[in-house]
Amino acid sequence: MIVSWRILEEFLTLPEKYAPEEVAERLTMAGAEVESIERRDISGVTVARIASLDRHPTKGHLFVAKLDTGLPEKRDAVCVTAATNLKAGDMVFYAAPGAVAAGLPELAVRDFDGVTSDGMMLSAEELGLPEIGLEEGILRLPGDAPIGAEAGVAYGIRDTLLNVSVTPNRGDLLSVLGMAREINGLFSGSDGLALKPMPWKTHEQAAKWPIDFGDISLPDPGCVNYHLGLAVGVNIAPSPLDVRIALTHMGMRPISNVVDATNYVMLVLGQPLHAFDLNTLPAREITVRTARDGERIMTLDGKERVMTDEDMLITSGGEPIAIAGVMGGDKTGIADDTKVVLLEGANFSAQRVGRTSRRLGLTSEAAFRYSRGVDPALAAMGIDYALHLMHLWGSADVSFIKRSAFNAVPAPAPIKLTKKKLQTYLLWSDMNESARILRGFGIEPAEPRSGDDAAFVPPTWRPDITIEEDLIEEIGRYRGYNDMPDLLPGEMPRRGDMGAPTLLASALRGTLISRGYTEVITYSFLPESFVQTLNLPSGDRRASLMRLLNPISQDWSVMRTTLVPGLLNGLRESVAAGRRGPVRMFEIGRAFFPSADGHIEEDHLAGLVCGGLDPRTPWKETVDDFLSVKSDLEAVVLSRGITPVFERSSEPFGHAGQTASVSIRSASGGSGDQQKIGFLARLSLALEREMDFPGAVYLFELDLSGLEAVVRPAYFPTPQFPASLRDISMFVPNRRGCGEVVRDIRAAVEAAGAGAGLLESVALFDVYAPSQDEKAGKSSIPAGFRSMAFTMSYRAPDRTLDDAEVDGIQNAAREALARKGYGLR
Amino acid sequence: MPTSARPESEPVRLAFERDLAAAKTTDDLREIRVAYLGKKGALTSLLKSLGKLPDADRPAEGAVLNRLRYNMERALESKRASFQSAEEKSAEARDSVDVTLPGRGRPEGAFHPVAQTMYEIVGIMMGMGYSVALGPEIEDDYHNFESMNMPSWHPARDMQDTFYLPDDVPPDGKPSGDGKPSGDGKPSGDGKPRTLLRTHTSPVENRAMREWGAPLRIVSPGKVYRRDNDPTHSPMFNQIEGLLVEKDVSFSVLKGSMRELMNAFFGRPLKNRYRASYFPFTEPSMELDIECVVCGGADPQCRVCKGTGWLEVCGMGMTHPFVLRAGGIDPDEYNAFAFGMGLDRMAMLKYGINDLRYLFNGNVSYLLSGREAAI
Repeated sequence: MIVSWRILEEFLTLPEKYAPEEVAERLTMAGAEVESIERRDISGVTVARIASLDRHPTKGHLFVAKLDTGLPEKRDAVCVTAATNLKAGDMVFYAAPGAVAAGLPELAVRDFDGVTSDGMMLSAEELGLPEIGLEEGILRLPGDAPIGAEAGVAYGIRDTLLNVSVTPNRGDLLSVLGMAREINGLFSGSDGLALKPMPWKTHEQAAKWPIDFGDISLPDPGCVNYHLGLAVGVNIAPSPLDVRIALTHMGMRPISNVVDATNYVMLVLGQPLHAFDLNTLPAREITVRTARDGERIMTLDGKERVMTDEDMLITSGGEPIAIAGVMGGDKTGIADDTKVVLLEGANFSAQRVGRTSRRLGLTSEAAFRYSRGVDPALAAMGIDYALHLMHLWGSADVSFIKRSAFNAVPAPAPIKLTKKKLQTYLLWSDMNESARILRGFGIEPAEPRSGDDAAFVPPTWRPDITIEEDLIEEIGRYRGYNDMPDLLPGEMPRRGDMGAPTLLASALRGTLISRGYTEVITYSFLPESFVQTLNLPSGDRRASLMRLLNPISQDWSVMRTTLVPGLLNGLRESVAAGRRGPVRMFEIGRAFFPSADGHIEEDHLAGLVCGGLDPRTPWKETVDDFLSVKSDLEAVVLSRGITPVFERSSEPFGHAGQTASVSIRSASGGSGDQQKIGFLARLSLALEREMDFPGAVYLFELDLSGLEAVVRPAYFPTPQFPASLRDISMFVPNRRGCGEVVRDIRAAVEAAGAGAGLLESVALFDVYAPSQDEKAGKSSIPAGFRSMAFTMSYRAPDRTLDDAEVDGIQNAAREALARKGYGLR
Repeated sequence: MPTSARPESEPVRLAFERDLAAAKTTDDLREIRVAYLGKKGALTSLLKSLGKLPDADRPAEGAVLNRLRYNMERALESKRASFQSAEEKSAEARDSVDVTLPGRGRPEGAFHPVAQTMYEIVGIMMGMGYSVALGPEIEDDYHNFESMNMPSWHPARDMQDTFYLPDDVPPDGKPSGDGKPSGDGKPSGDGKPRTLLRTHTSPVENRAMREWGAPLRIVSPGKVYRRDNDPTHSPMFNQIEGLLVEKDVSFSVLKGSMRELMNAFFGRPLKNRYRASYFPFTEPSMELDIECVVCGGADPQCRVCKGTGWLEVCGMGMTHPFVLRAGGIDPDEYNAFAFGMGLDRMAMLKYGINDLRYLFNGNVSYLLSGREAAI
């Protein structure tokens, strides 16, 4: 809302000491944030008359105007212009050398091929107000413009404009009148401020309309009141210059005298008005009724709108002519040849207008105000003011009484203000001072009063005040909150608890960051195409998507079912941003799945590792590969006291030889009951190639729900008897996994009879697979095998094992392993 | 060294001293020990011959030889210790490491400033007894709007342009705490679907009140979504909501909580001011401005505060009685305050990040930039 200081002063006596900056500060602190203060300045520009106009003696496209400026210091001035819309006798704005206006370049005396130009005559653009122009060329003023008068003063060009951000509860502040009342209230108790009487007189009115007109009917209670004003002998023309300037200052385009009158009243009083061309109405009656489901109306923006039975229509002869409070129909508006204007000033329910406007996605200045609450008392005043303006501007003969209809509205109930609640909220409770503050805002004391408590009735322009807390807010914002003490909450009802999911995420991010991963947050939306990109088959849970109905773009159209695409994109962004070294990142966030009875949100942890364009490091141990990422993932799960199980597996986007499922033993199930919680995979070679990544990309993703609880570790006493250690080195068929080999070793020992229960641990300490080259040459390792070496620890709980006993077990185990196809060394 | 009573011991002693002086390594010392003190060593032989002496001479002679043996042992050990020390010193010199080489192992990663900010704020608030409450990101119209005193016609909804999802299934299939089904397939009052991405963290207020009742202190961090995308708005962003429900709560307690939060988060006392404002779910409502954390109000050209000296950081107010009732709490018995702020903005202010686009694109290069520059 832009407030013209000049018009504000038509409603409010403001002593000099209240500068716009000070008023703006007070408004801002009290809830109406002034976003900017703009001074529209103009100087050195005055009204002048063209005494004579001749063609330039040598330059045929130029004219030489001799002006009567009326200025004592320079009565005559010569201006050279290229404009073609002038004639002798026209009134213009004359800018003397050194003049200042918004659209004006620096101005000096200038020579045009022998003719000296003393400044210039101004166009609307040069004034900085292009919207007020009516024709190409120099702006021509009315014939009675006062010669010599300063443009800034005579036409209100000099003004201060406050751009105020009005909160949705304060529809009353969407007007100069409302701002005047607010400022008056905020400075109540200071000297010299006073609201002025309304700036129009109700003029002579004829009792009877010179045309036949039937009833105004309001069967829909959503129309609180409805008034019609009549203007006959209308002459549609531009509005007076000062009105066009004022409208432009307040952000509205001047259109014509009748439309401008309704807009001006709306900006100044806050009452939306609508002008009908009487002769286009289907019948000489108005009915405001509920729309029928499916009823249609073409609005004046040329679009057909379909109604529901929650909407309200203005109808005439049964036909819709406007959507109440939102927009007029396209057939009944003002046209250039309109002769009789029917002016509607009405009050509609904020809820009804708001709902219709939101449903249709149709906003208008009127709907914006109605949905925020318009003072019902303004409807009739708005008609009076608009008719007054049309009369003043000579737009029509308007001396006819308005017609009105009303729906019964319950009188506002008094609102109680208790001293106790005031004290609780504000730690202050001066009831007399409170009453004074409230009266400043037009909120009047009412009955019943009892003891320390009082009651108040808000004015009709403050429909936002309905409960005691609203009264406390008025007092609070008048007094300001900055002087209240800062106190801490008292005794804690319970300790502050981070809660399991947040605590889990906090622990995991610590683990991963310390292992070299960077935390990222990516969008919860994905392009639908990610399903194809990752080759997810239709049966894959991650291919069932929740689609947004109104996405911003196709790139953000479905809710993610996996965090992987966001991380792959992060890798792309990181490389594009110039990163050459390794990229390690993780994200903890939600994935979204449709389900039979609604949807599921799961907390996921996903990670990505890529060596990058330049993965070189001085240390062999720091190169990223499948097993380095596996150890990070093991650390994540082990940090919860849970041992992860990795098994060869597949993912639609995974490398066929480097993909594992990650499982944990279910807490509820039996010992062998495993629950898959995610995967670890290298990206398939095809995707690595298609996405043009700089090297192998390793990915993992876990559903975190299985990791929320921490399993406490168990502790065992230090063994009383020493362990016996034996190493075993074998050629192992390539397709046999390490996990299987360890299981085979254990089984062999158990089967060795005397060995049962004595093998404490089996630990791999060496693995060697010959490279392609070595295989071609000579290697001691047979083709299809690799060499693995383990250290085995034997221990009995109750005695020291003797060497012969252990050797016996070990030899039996070796024989068993050899029978299983291992090459013992 | 004392002179031996017997002439045989003196040459042994002199030979030992000569040999010891010539020794260069611990191996040499080992040989000397064998030659003099070993089983067939020179001194050992003398000691063995003591038995042949007359009884009267034996004690005195024995004492001399034993003393000689003791002295030899000491001399050998002293020499050995000095040889060992010298050898260790030279081994250490040989094995010196270039301590300016990079450490082996992966360098530390980095936190995301928004997540970090969330944990910092949660930590500060937990110290004042606030617990974390979480809620779904796919919400329903009731929790997101209706329960927060924003009925379908409410103009404040215009400021929260909403993402919608199809309504054919109820969002969580379960009735919410107040017994209202969270989705019944019918559109909401403004003709929009009931299933949506939450536009703020406020719906968690209702869920927490329903679940835990009064008294209550919660903070609720999380992602929220609005249909905006421009240099200063991301369609996904992060908020944290706070709610305290107790008896006779004053706005002063909210002010105190905010002062602690801001001063602890930014690490120094900051000037603040409270402006009256409006939110449908609080009455009275305020906004907190803190002193510009960049210029402290000293720079009229400051890009962060635009020269005003103030930063708007948090909306808040005393919880509207409608919201308490919707949460199943009697507003005549309890009252409450709530606050909400943007975690992204707090993170950007604290960590000096000036472009929102860096936050959600996964650019590790940016997130690590300061750390790697410092190495």
